Amino acid sequence: MRDRLQALADAARQEIAGASELPAVEALRIRYLGKKGELSSVLGGMGKLPPDERRALGEIANSVKAELEQLLADATRRAEEAALEAQLKGPKLDVTLPGRGVVPGSRHPVSRTMEDIVRTFARLGFEVAVGPEIELDYFNFEALNLPKDHPARDMQDTFYVDESTLGHARKADSPSLLRTHTSPVQVRHMLAKKPPVRAVMPGRVYRRDSDITHTPMFHQVEGLLVDKDVSFAELKGTLAAFVRAFFGADTRTRFRPSFFPFTEPSAEVDISCTSCGGKGCRICKQTGWLEVLGSGMVHPNVFTAAGYDPGEVTGYAFGMGVERIAMLRYRIDDLRMMFENDARFLEQF
Amino acid sequence: MKISVKWLGDYVALPPSVDELARKLTAAGLEIEGVERPGEGLRGVVVAQIRESVQHPNADKLSVTQVDIGGSAMLQVVCGAKNYKVGDRVPLATAGAKLPNGMEIKQAALRGVESFGMLCSAKELGLTEDSSGLLILPPDAKLGAPVAEALGLDDSVLEVNVTPNRPDALSHLGVAREVGVVTGAALKLPQPKLAESGTPASERVKVRIEDATRCTRYAARVVENVTIRPSPTWMQERLKSCGVRAINNVVDVTNYVLLEYGQPLHAFDLDKLAGQEIVVRTAGRGEKMHTLDGKERALDPDDLLICDRDRPQAIAGVMGGGDSEVSQGTTRIVLESAHFVGSSVRRTAKRHALHTEASHRFERGTDLDAVIPAVDRAAQLIAELSGGTVAPGRVDVYPEPKAARRVTLRYGRVERVLGVAVAEAECRRILGALGFKAVEEGTGQTTYDVPRARVDVEREEDLMEEVARVYGYDNIPARLPRGLDTLVPEPASSEAERRLRHALSGAGLNEVVNYSFVAPKSLEVLGAKDAPIALVNPLSVEQSVMRTSLLPGLLENLSRSVRHQVESVGLYETGRAYYRDAQGGQGMRPAAREVPRVAGLLWGLRGGGRSWTQKDARMDFYDAKGAVEALLHELHVTGATFSSAERPAYHPRSCAQVALADGTVLGHVGEIHPRVTKALGLPEGVFVFELDTEPLYSASRLVAESQPLPKYPAVLRDLAVVVPVELANEEVRRVILEVGAPLVEDALVFDVYTGKPIPEGKKNLAYALRYRSAERTLTDVEVTTAHQRIITEVNQRLGAALRA
Repeated sequence: MRDRLQALADAARQEIAGASELPAVEALRIRYLGKKGELSSVLGGMGKLPPDERRALGEIANSVKAELEQLLADATRRAEEAALEAQLKGPKLDVTLPGRGVVPGSRHPVSRTMEDIVRTFARLGFEVAVGPEIELDYFNFEALNLPKDHPARDMQDTFYVDESTLGHARKADSPSLLRTHTSPVQVRHMLAKKPPVRAVMPGRVYRRDSDITHTPMFHQVEGLLVDKDVSFAELKGTLAAFVRAFFGADTRTRFRPSFFPFTEPSAEVDISCTSCGGKGCRICKQTGWLEVLGSGMVHPNVFTAAGYDPGEVTGYAFGMGVERIAMLRYRIDDLRMMFENDARFLEQF
Repeated sequence: MKISVKWLGDYVALPPSVDELARKLTAAGLEIEGVERPGEGLRGVVVAQIRESVQHPNADKLSVTQVDIGGSAMLQVVCGAKNYKVGDRVPLATAGAKLPNGMEIKQAALRGVESFGMLCSAKELGLTEDSSGLLILPPDAKLGAPVAEALGLDDSVLEVNVTPNRPDALSHLGVAREVGVVTGAALKLPQPKLAESGTPASERVKVRIEDATRCTRYAARVVENVTIRPSPTWMQERLKSCGVRAINNVVDVTNYVLLEYGQPLHAFDLDKLAGQEIVVRTAGRGEKMHTLDGKERALDPDDLLICDRDRPQAIAGVMGGGDSEVSQGTTRIVLESAHFVGSSVRRTAKRHALHTEASHRFERGTDLDAVIPAVDRAAQLIAELSGGTVAPGRVDVYPEPKAARRVTLRYGRVERVLGVAVAEAECRRILGALGFKAVEEGTGQTTYDVPRARVDVEREEDLMEEVARVYGYDNIPARLPRGLDTLVPEPASSEAERRLRHALSGAGLNEVVNYSFVAPKSLEVLGAKDAPIALVNPLSVEQSVMRTSLLPGLLENLSRSVRHQVESVGLYETGRAYYRDAQGGQGMRPAAREVPRVAGLLWGLRGGGRSWTQKDARMDFYDAKGAVEALLHELHVTGATFSSAERPAYHPRSCAQVALADGTVLGHVGEIHPRVTKALGLPEGVFVFELDTEPLYSASRLVAESQPLPKYPAVLRDLAVVVPVELANEEVRRVILEVGAPLVEDALVFDVYTGKPIPEGKKNLAYALRYRSAERTLTDVEVTTAHQRIITEVNQRLGAALRA
């Protein structure tokens, strides 16, 4: 019996040493140490032996079992290690294949620029106001100090709306049109709110013009600040701060007298060329300056139309074309690209 | 408006450089958009003297000349002209010169004789239309000097962008006044000196104004014994530099004085005026006339006319008539200098689609005080240039003389509005230089008479603008607005819209911006039931109605991408749809109902195009629905439902209505109807969604509320049921969740299968159920019992069979 145990142990040692793969090691464990394994079958005959011999043999059997378990564990570790080693040594992945997953879509340069302009003014406490795009002549022109037959109406070629398609039960107060600027939102906002007012008004606007540098629809952001004793100096400060925040700290501003019917005094705002920094290039037509904003002190007639007392409050307003700013920002040289929505264009943003 | 710098120099001392002049005017509000230097096109053209001229050996019509340009040797030049004599000085375009007509001069052999340049005519130099021979230069022209200098073309022309409120700057004198104000130089006004003789003007012509509300003043002078001929070169050059074509001495003078004073003038042939009478009246019904541009025009009763006894001779302030035009045989002329009311001229000019130098100025407002000096100046110049005699006196009809406008400036208010204290003395100096006269002094304020050229100055703010622009916007400090008492909350819709864009761009869709107006057809093809709002004056039928859906734009974008072989298209847009509003247009109520929307479109291969990771899987309904779910998720809108729906534009089998938990319908998601894609020439398999954003934003929870994590483990069990194919997943889920409550936390469908061995008309749905209790760890028995109950109930209620 003792010899059989010894022989079993010898055979097992040899076989375990020769087993290099996990299934083989596992098979050996079952063969030698399993419930119906060889060790069990040897020990099965132990019951017939006298007690001391049984005890002595039991000790030997236990030590053989412990030894084999140890050897099997080692063999398992060796086999696992070998398997891992083999796996690590396999051919390398093609790391140049593209990754898996959704390619995120892009934001339209105009909508992103408009959002960024609004957010920049939000930092100065400007809230957002919106108004209708199909607007009444009254709000688009008359309330903004642009009476009928005013030559400044020429500056804005207007799309008029066919009244018969508006389904009005009662004739509207004035003709309907597509707003030519976001300025009517100023009037609506003031009519709806007591001063002080501090708001930006983004949105779509329409002019009857279509060529290389004009599209019949474009976007503006209008701004309005009204309070007691608001001065032109604050207008300058606000816009200069905006320009620095938006275009970079080195960007300079230049205010030029100009004319808008709804502001007095009025100023056109130029910024130092974002492309050449003011030295003169193709983008700024060699002038070093780019015209980006119109602004001025709110005209007393506009306050009157909006129900504010021009003796009590003053304020400033400004407006900018979003496409123009987006073109400078993203270096887009053809305005029409903005509305062609060519996938190859959109994907660049 | 083009302003000749040389001409400007007649009236005011100019800064040393044109660039400085341009900068100063721009800073004061007369934006100089560009500076033209007409002599620039003549670079390389020099003064040459012809020293010798012989017949070309091989060409009858050509001569071979030797010319001197002040160098050591003669240059040989072949020439075709005959009008010169040896010793004349003429322009020589040397090799390398590029003439205004585009011709590049090269050294070349002409019929075998070498020529080192070209002798030029006036036409070749772009000066006049005269191509009859070489331009003969003055005998004192310096040899070898640039011809531009010799011709006085060393002028610069300013392109001034005159804003509509400043008609006073539409003239050389007006701009000169601005120069004087910003530089402090004195203005030298022309002083017309007239030698009058013969019969008084008032006996030669009668003037009557019938509509004094539209013609404020009408002054006329008569010049007799005129000889019509071309005007002298200096005048032609000045007109030309301002973009005005020279015609004859009389017409040229009227244009010259227009450019000088800004006062439009007209010259009539006195002998062509019936009754030698001028009547300013509106048109009669059916009246017609021939205007100077050769067109016959049907006149409107609202048109103001200048007529003789019998018929119209000019459209007031817009254009003269052909009948009384100054012509070669004219000997007596009447000069008109009038003031017409802007709105009247504007209506007429618009009606006849005429835009002239005269109408441009009258529309904006002319200077009542220029009427008389301008007509005198013109009479003087015509007399000088035509040998005519000026009839004594003027006819001047001015029914209601207008007093100057008066405006008071409170000096203290200047600081309040501008934010800088401009000294009172400085305000006075600026306004004085601009021609404002102080007429009344008060405490801290002055009342000024506004010069009549300044039609834009009506109130105190206008005076402040005058002060500000001359004081210099640059000299006004820049300050940030004062602090805030409170912060206004950002409107929820701004943040919601940002998140919506974030979600959709994150889902792989590109944002687009389409026009709000579309072709009526593009809405009809989608079966839109609301008649769209139409434009009166669209640019084209393709942009003639306001969209009632964002889909036409997206479908057009798709079409473009398909043309460019793009394999995968994902787009979205936020914007408005426009609808009628019966109550619209009253008071503050907008004219139309504008509904903010978001719409998206998906077509083609999933994942942006062909990919090695998935073999050409095409997007379907669930990709579009997934995009909608992504945005609902991003906005934390919970409980939204999708239910099968039928809509005209959509595939009847593949369309869902999207609604909020409270039942508010947001819109639809689905496949575009195959008939629609066919009609649009698009491929099939186009998936879209369009939702109203207002209710969506209202339902959004921008600040999510957190839930505690479960304390006890979940038990997972799968459930597969076979149900009729029409039975919706949500129906099955509802039963599972209802029966399984409260232990079933969620039931996620993870497989949908039709085909063998599932019987025809049935499908297999497989769910992963998650059991959990908030109070304890569930036992196997509990879960098994519950799971069994679900199987039984699902079977009974939905006729489903648990799949073997």
